[in-house]
Formats: sequence, C-alpha cells, structure tokens
Amino acid sequence: MVDVRRLLPRGYLFTVLGIAVGVAGLVALGAMAERITRFIDGGDRFVLGQISVAGEGMGMGTGFTAGGLLRASKIQEIARVPGVAAVQGQVMLPLNPTTSQFLTLTQELILGVDPAVRMSNREFRELPVRDGRFLRVGDRGVVVVGADFAASRRLRAGGALDLATGRTFQVVGVLDKTLTAPDRFAIVPLDDARDLWLRRDPLLVQVFTGAGGLGRGDLNTGAAVAWADGVDPDALARRIQAEVPGLNVTIPGELSRLLRQSTAFFSALLFGIGVLGLVIGGLSLSNTVTAAVFERIRDFGIKRALGATDGQLLREILGEALGVSISGGLLGVGLALAVGTLVDARGDGQQLFLFSPRLLAFALGFAVVLGGLAATYATLRIVRLSPAEAIRRGA
Amino acid sequence: MLVRAHGLSKTFRGPDGSPVPVLHGVDVDVKAGECVAVAGPSGCGKSTLLNLLGLLEPLDAGEIWLDDVCVSRLSRGAQCRVRGRSIGYIFQSFLLIAGLTALENVLLAARYVGRPRPEALAEARRLMDRLGVVHRADHYPAQLSGGEQQRVAYCRAVLNAPPLVLADEPTGNLDDGHAAVILAELRALCRERGTSVILVTHRADAAARADRVLRLREGRLESQGGDGHS
Repeated sequence: MVDVRRLLPRGYLFTVLGIAVGVAGLVALGAMAERITRFIDGGDRFVLGQISVAGEGMGMGTGFTAGGLLRASKIQEIARVPGVAAVQGQVMLPLNPTTSQFLTLTQELILGVDPAVRMSNREFRELPVRDGRFLRVGDRGVVVVGADFAASRRLRAGGALDLATGRTFQVVGVLDKTLTAPDRFAIVPLDDARDLWLRRDPLLVQVFTGAGGLGRGDLNTGAAVAWADGVDPDALARRIQAEVPGLNVTIPGELSRLLRQSTAFFSALLFGIGVLGLVIGGLSLSNTVTAAVFERIRDFGIKRALGATDGQLLREILGEALGVSISGGLLGVGLALAVGTLVDARGDGQQLFLFSPRLLAFALGFAVVLGGLAATYATLRIVRLSPAEAIRRGA
Repeated sequence: MLVRAHGLSKTFRGPDGSPVPVLHGVDVDVKAGECVAVAGPSGCGKSTLLNLLGLLEPLDAGEIWLDDVCVSRLSRGAQCRVRGRSIGYIFQSFLLIAGLTALENVLLAARYVGRPRPEALAEARRLMDRLGVVHRADHYPAQLSGGEQQRVAYCRAVLNAPPLVLADEPTGNLDDGHAAVILAELRALCRERGTSVILVTHRADAAARADRVLRLREGRLESQGGDGHS
C-alpha cells in the first residue's frame, strides 16, 4: 500500500489537508453556482431558439406555450408568414396541475409533440437520448422522459409510467442530462397529450363536444415557430403578430430579457456564492500555506546560516509550496467530487452540483497561484530576519 | 591572521522595548589553525559574540574582517555566500532539520555553495564514516541519539572545509564520551587542516585544550590570552 506521507514534502501532510478543505469548499460552492448558471442559460437558449406562439386569451396550457387554445387554422396562417420555416403545434401540460402555478422553475411538464414535424427550436433540434430511443411517427401510448424525471422515479427504457389515472405509458427512452428544463419533461406523442388534456379539463370536453366546431387538430396549447436562415427572429415575431390576428406571440429577445430579470435573484445569489467560495477557500489556503512556512522558520534560519541566499530560499519554498498546493488542490477537487457525487446520488433526481472542467481548472490554478503568493509573502518576511533571529523564533 | 574583529557591540530590545546591551566594544583576533575558547558566566555575551563573528546577527557597531575582506560591510547576499563557503557552525542544540535524513542534513551545506553533488556525497559519507554515524545516514534526527546528532552536525559544519568553524557549546548536551569525540575532532581540525576554531564552552577540560581562552564578563573582554594549552 502506498504511504501518502512519503509522496509529500515531510511535515506537510496537515498543510495539504488544510489546503484540500479550502479547495473542496471553493469547488463545491462553485459547482453549485455552475449548476444554477447552466439552468438559467439553458432556459435562455430555449427562448432564444424559437418563437413561442399561443392562442389569444388567458391560457389553458403552461410553460412557454401558455395562452389560449391555438387552432389548426392559425398554425397554417403562421406557416404562410414570410420568413417562417416551420411551425410545430404542441401541447404542454403540468404533470401536477395543483402545484404548477407555484413551482415554475422546477415543475415537471408533459410535452406533446408530433414526431413527424422537425423540432422547431434552433438550440434543441434533437434532444440527446441516453437510454432507448426518441418518439417515432405513429407512436401511441409511449413516453420519453428527461434525466431528472427518470431518476426520481427510477425509470428506464422498457418501464411503465402512469401519467393520468388509468392511463399507463410505456417508457421508450430516457434523455441525457441537459441541466435545464427538458430534464423534467415527459414527452409524449401529440395525440396522446391531447387525450390527457381532455381527461383533465372538463370545461374543454364540453367545448370540444359541443357546438364549438373544434377538431382534434385544434387542441394545441401553443406552437414553436422556426425561422428561415438570415431572418431576424424578433422582427419575424412582430410580423406574425401583425399579420395573424388572435395570437399571443412572444418576442424571443424580450422573453430572454424577461427571463433574465426574473432570474436576477439567482444571478445575485450566484455572485454571492462565488465571492463566498473565493473568500473562504482563499483565506483557508493562504493562511494554511503561510502558517506552514512560518512553522518552519527555524529550518529556514538554519539554511540561511548554511549560506542560502534570499533567491535560493525563495525558490526552495516556492517549489515546496507548489507541490503542496497542487497536492492539496487535487485532493480538494477529489473531495468535492466525492461529496458532490454522493449528494447528487441521493435519489430525488435533483442535481445540485456541476463540476465543469473550467471550474476544476480554475480551482487548481487558484490554489497554485494563491499558494505561491502566500509562500512568497512568508518568505519575504523570513529573509528580513537575521539567521539567528529566525532560529530563535522557531525554537 | 584569519579573523579580526574590532569594537563589536550589540544591544537587544527587551520585552518592554527597553535596550538590553549585551556586548560592548569587543576585539577578537584569531589566527589560522588556532583554537580559541570563549568562556564566561551565563549571559555574558558568549553566544552573541559567536553569532556576530558568524554573520548570523547584524552588528550595532564594529567591524569583522576575514583575511582581507571586511565581511561585516558586505551586502546580505554576499554575507550568505561567505557563510556558506568560509564558516561552519556547530550549535549546542544540534539544529538539524527534522524533515531531512542525517545524510541530507550533511549535504545541505553543499547545496547552497553550488558544490557538485557526487563530490559532496562522497565527502559526506567519508566524514560520517570517520565520525561513526554513516550507518545512520538514512535516519531522521528524531531517530538519532544526542551524540549521533551532534556528530552529524559536526559533519555538516566541516563538509565544505571552511577556514573558520564556530562551535557554540557543542558538548553542552552530550555525555563525557561523546563530548570527548567532538572536542578531539575540533582539535584535529585545527591541527590537520589549519582551520580556525572558536569554541564557546563551560567545560573546563574543553577550555584547557584550546590554544587561548577569551574570558567575557558583562559583555566586555576580560582577558584574551594564553591560559590554554598550545
């Protein structure tokens, strides 16, 4: 078995552990910040990737397609507007209607799409499937679930899922993690989504079966509109609004700004977490390295007595500080990864940490640079002392 | 004449910041190959004198010359080089570095003067063999007895064959047997290599074997002559 103590400069084991704790704190806080950033960025990419359209009115759907019923005739009118490349009618429903109005950032959604129509969102042309397959033309009674949705219910391709009382769907695919909204989606064929909607909404059933003149094709909570290459999406959204009456049209740029405003609290929180991580990790690391150097002041006094110059001593201490900082940094990263993985594996499907390569590289770089600065500061303090004074202070 | 020191004075600061004078205008001359003992009651300034002569402590007043160079006026870097090449130290409490083995401690003296490692390694092993500690080369100081530690410290002090060796109570923590070994080596150093040795000691037998004994009292030189053996 490898004796770790032999791999480190002798006497530095506790220094390395001290640095590891500081770096682990920095990495863990940073990973939580990264996770929230990815979630917000994912939402932003989504709204900037399509023009979301719903029917006029207060809304029967949810999410990005909230608004009135969007009839098939309206979808055809939208498709004729110059600059529109494709229109995909959708049904988006909350999985649990009683909580959907409150938990808007993390709510689970049922999304009905027509696999025959290409996904209209430029940023999410294809959703990556981890297990099984995506929806195919002609599918009925099947569902593809997001990664968090699957994890919280221990679902795999081949399993079964009850999306409404008495209506069981076969799970044909599980999506890869996107770290944003689709992680909590249950995606079903459009016709199945329409059935689920009708089961849930008695008022809609009366309208549908009465004299409203509605067909199944009119049952859309909204549509995603794709634009042709080179078209300004905001300008196109305004053109659709002007040319097709009776629509709620979201302007991608405005929606993105709205989203940013509504997540301003999280952005501030992220900034706070980042600053806190840097302060805690930085103080812990620099204090540990400085204390470790001062702890060996007697040794450096002896070395000065043996002829070590300022430069030789600085190089020697910096070399040791570098070794110790890298060891502590790697150990801290490993510690944070282990704790983060354990926490994220607790089974409720929520991923709290995102250990991005840029975060890990930053943490290691931070440890090395700060360790070097702390060691330099301590060395400059020590070389100002006479060798005899350094030996006395270290005695 | 190897060492000439004139008017050496040193004052420390007490806990309340008040001045505590330790040495007052001390003059010391030591010839090449001479063994000089420094004696006197505790607190009379013996160790401070040795620290000043070894450039381990800055002077308040006076000058120190090694051969033709006024080393007390040199820059900090130049004084480091003088310490590495021209002066060897042996301390009462050995002052070995705990994180290094006995051999690494000895070799430390060669590191800072840029001496080739193979040559230094061979010399270190030869010295350790002569002092009877070569079998302890890979042991850490905590694994050595006091006598062994002081013999390792002696090897480190003389590895670069410095013309001046300063020994501050080198036998203070040793039994008579180990003390005799160290004192015999210091005498041999003067005789065989022409090294100058300045030895702070309380032991009458050690002072008696020196060429001269400097007697300090309350920071002043009381006598500097010839009551040791030649």
